[in-house]
Amino acid sequence: MTGPMTRRRWLLAALGVAAVAWIIGGEWVSIHAHVPENHLIDALGGLAFLGAGLVALDRRPASRIGALMIAYAAVAYLGNWGNLQVAVVPLIGLAGQQFGGAIIAHTALSYPTGRLRTSFERAVIGVMYGVGVATAAVIALAFDPRADGCVRCAWEPAPFPSRTAVLTALLVNQRAGFGLVLAFLAAVWLRWRRSTPAERRALTPLWVGIGIVGVVYLMGAFASPDPSADSFAYLVWELQSVLQISLPLVFLWGLLSARLARSAVGDLVVELERPLRPGELRTLLARTLGDPSLELLYALQSQDRWVDADGRPGELPAGPDRGDGRRASVTVTDRAGLPLAALIHDPALDQGLVRAAAAAAGIRIENERLHADVRAQLDEVRASRQRIAEAGDRERRRVERNLHDGAQQRLATLALSLAMLRDRASADPPLAESIERTSAELKQAMAELRELARGIHPAILTEEGLPAAVESLADRSSVPVHVHADFDGRLAEPVEAVGYFVVSESIANVVKYSGAGAARVELSRRDGILLVEVTDDGVGGADAGRGTGLRGLEDRVAAVRGTFSVQSPPGGGTRVSAEIPCAG
Amino acid sequence: MARSVLIVDDHPGFRAQARALLAVAGYEIVGEAADGASGVRVAMDLSPDVVLLDVQLPDVTGFDLVGRMRDRPDPPAIILISSRDACDYGGRIGRSGAQGFITKAELSARSFEAALEGRAE
Repeated sequence: MTGPMTRRRWLLAALGVAAVAWIIGGEWVSIHAHVPENHLIDALGGLAFLGAGLVALDRRPASRIGALMIAYAAVAYLGNWGNLQVAVVPLIGLAGQQFGGAIIAHTALSYPTGRLRTSFERAVIGVMYGVGVATAAVIALAFDPRADGCVRCAWEPAPFPSRTAVLTALLVNQRAGFGLVLAFLAAVWLRWRRSTPAERRALTPLWVGIGIVGVVYLMGAFASPDPSADSFAYLVWELQSVLQISLPLVFLWGLLSARLARSAVGDLVVELERPLRPGELRTLLARTLGDPSLELLYALQSQDRWVDADGRPGELPAGPDRGDGRRASVTVTDRAGLPLAALIHDPALDQGLVRAAAAAAGIRIENERLHADVRAQLDEVRASRQRIAEAGDRERRRVERNLHDGAQQRLATLALSLAMLRDRASADPPLAESIERTSAELKQAMAELRELARGIHPAILTEEGLPAAVESLADRSSVPVHVHADFDGRLAEPVEAVGYFVVSESIANVVKYSGAGAARVELSRRDGILLVEVTDDGVGGADAGRGTGLRGLEDRVAAVRGTFSVQSPPGGGTRVSAEIPCAG
Repeated sequence: MARSVLIVDDHPGFRAQARALLAVAGYEIVGEAADGASGVRVAMDLSPDVVLLDVQLPDVTGFDLVGRMRDRPDPPAIILISSRDACDYGGRIGRSGAQGFITKAELSARSFEAALEGRAE
């Protein structure tokens, strides 16, 4: 075992200690019960399954094979513990033993991932477990430990004790096993046929091992279930025990072998020949390496930062931790000394395998990096456009405020001065009339200046929000405009600004071009979206593609990641609508 | 007896003109203030009958001051003024508790009296 002691490894170590105790204890019970068997071979078989299972769980955490091998070691030794002549232990031991064959077959057929692939495979293994359950049920109902020689078993656990029923069940189980082993060998053969040449080469020892075990178990189907019954039964039983030692080692060897890893990388190369969706490369690499937590980040060389396949910023873990308690290693691939991508993965993964997979995906990594680069730039452009639009709004507010604080104040003061002069000149009618005309001109200029200031940025929008600002706009329109708003609260400033300009530009168009008798403005909020809709009953024919007004509105709405549309069939009125995300 | 008026506006030129215009109309200008804080203080000290209050002050809006100035046993009438139109403030003028609103360029003895009487000029 190499690498740091993670929490998972401590758990595996604890599991290992418990399981070794389980096996040695079972063997000790077996020795004391004078069971006629080779205890050394028996113990070595269990320990081999256990050890191989633990190493497999540690080195190939994504595979279920390790767990299956440990399960076999645990179940198989229920039989030895069954020799402990206490209470229901012999019953449990005999019942538990019935699942050993199914677990071995499950392990072999689902190798190396631990997952069955076809419905036929699932059916074969399912029936095997089913037969195990049925036999265990008969044992639970009919097995009488005292009749079987357990003098210390103080009470009767089975409701219908019958030694004949138990022996019959065991015999039926064994005979059914004959058919099931044939079905199992057929499933193995089908799997071999479907395997790629690389897989077949990598798994050759496994095919041989499974074949031998299959044949020996087949022989077992003809032998007596009691090894002491005759010499053939004993031979089969011993052969099974010896093979028990070799089988887990073959499994483990195959699981860890570089050739198998290379065949996974070979599969990856085949997968990479088809078009991939953005982000799918990460999924493929994760599957190839058996690490669902794998992350793939791309280097933006121009900006010295990392992004994911969608161009979203990401960060490499600063240390051996990912920051959320999980441990991670980083493998960086490069070209001509420049980093291309970083694989953040489980430290238990074989570095050579990670590098091989990354090398196999080289061109795809390069392509996806370029896509990520483009997406990151697009995001940057969008953000920049939004910042520019917001800066424009701020500048408009500033200009309006300056007009109000400066020119408009001075002109107002001037208007008061003229009013006073006019009052004082009442004795000189021509002078008073001249001052009156000047005063009227000044008031007209001030009204125009106020209208200009409103066009730059309406104070009421800042003061009262969108619905009030739109109402005010409607009040000043020469075409009757009906406003309906289903909210009266405030929205983010950029959202209010864009919503207002959609309405003001649309109403300006209604007045100038539509010839409409009336218009209607709808403002509503739904699911974090501000919906703005301006409709009129005019001549239609407006085109967002032509004319800078509607085009400019479309750009303003897009700058805050909203959508904008114009429907204006000739003679059918115009409907301008915008959906603006309220997050701004 | 002439009604006393306090003028709160940050533009000295406007204050001077308003003072002259209202004085001619017979009002007694008891004080001036250039920002909200001093406006409230002077209003407390002088207890004017009327406060001519600019909406846009350097430190606070006139809307925010109306409540504070009227929170006393014998509150002054408050006339809001601005170089903007009333329509630029929507319903805020109505909700503020002020007696009336006058656009600065329209300030005159007549508009002032109309506002005090709660009439639109």
